[in-house]
Amino acid sequence: MKTLVIIPAYNEQENILNTIDDINRHCPEMDYIVINDCSKDDTEKILRENRKNYLSLPCNLGIGGGVQTGYRYACENGYDIAIQFDGDGQHEARYLHDLVAPLEAGAADIAIGSRFIRKEGFQSTGLRRLGIGFLSGMIKLLCGIRVTDVTSGMRAVNRRFIEEYARSYAQDYPEPEAIIAASVRGAKIVEVPVQMRERQGGKSSINPVRSVYYMIKVSLALILAKFSSKER
Amino acid sequence: MLSTSLKTAILVAIFIYFVILVLLLKQKRLALRYTLLWMFSGLLMLLVTIFPQILEGVTRLLGIQLLSNALFAILFFCVLMILISLTSIISKQNESIKQLVQHTALMEKRIRAIEEKDERL
Repeated sequence: MKTLVIIPAYNEQENILNTIDDINRHCPEMDYIVINDCSKDDTEKILRENRKNYLSLPCNLGIGGGVQTGYRYACENGYDIAIQFDGDGQHEARYLHDLVAPLEAGAADIAIGSRFIRKEGFQSTGLRRLGIGFLSGMIKLLCGIRVTDVTSGMRAVNRRFIEEYARSYAQDYPEPEAIIAASVRGAKIVEVPVQMRERQGGKSSINPVRSVYYMIKVSLALILAKFSSKER
Repeated sequence: MLSTSLKTAILVAIFIYFVILVLLLKQKRLALRYTLLWMFSGLLMLLVTIFPQILEGVTRLLGIQLLSNALFAILFFCVLMILISLTSIISKQNESIKQLVQHTALMEKRIRAIEEKDERL
């Protein structure tokens, strides 16, 4: 199946080439596209000079708008499966085949890479795990599906949901919201055990003030998505 | 009752308000579709000032002590509605900008692909 790896990247000059190499080494049959979300560093220059496959947004849209651009590209270019894969070195391409397996078998519409099934590799900090647990409980309550790693940015999506996500996708902190939005449209969602690394370089976008905002915003968004996403 | 001096002051203020609105509209610095709520609020104020009976009715109905407080309450409500409509406009524009940015990026990529093909020929 024609598979595209979408790599959102914001200020990832240290990591981006390694990430692409990692994918090419483990999954040479997959295409990739980097979405440069108006990085302020040399990310775009590096991509251009190394003749990598990339899209460059003229304004910063944030992770949601960036990833959606990837889905629109996948939609226009007739891909059967699209995979989201962070450009910051946290994700490992050796798990990509496991991730797409349930989709290729037709057993699921969406597969999410989870750190918390085998509990191996980098497990994030305690407070963050608490937040993830809370959101996971909310999703269970609202949709009745069990997703352990709701904020995981490593996920594979089949053609039907490439089209759905190309049409509409949450803008900031979109990962948990995207799960509910897909679930209310009847997606079969599975989790696949993966390991993740700690960030290799660059800076994470989350700080204490933002994480409070994050929890409130995402909780509201989840409830809203549950009760409003039937209509277009 | 509204005192005559307050009534005059409010009428003058409303007049100036409408002059400014019309001037901005004439200079096309305001789009009519976003100005209707402002006009409606102005008309409401005018109505209430000319016919204070309406205001007295509202005041009694809601158990407000002072007539002018009822006036402020109505005004505040109008301002809130306008602010909500502004947020809604911003949200819509935000969505349009997002789609435009994405579209531009996709187009730029296609142009780059064509140029690369040209170079090779």
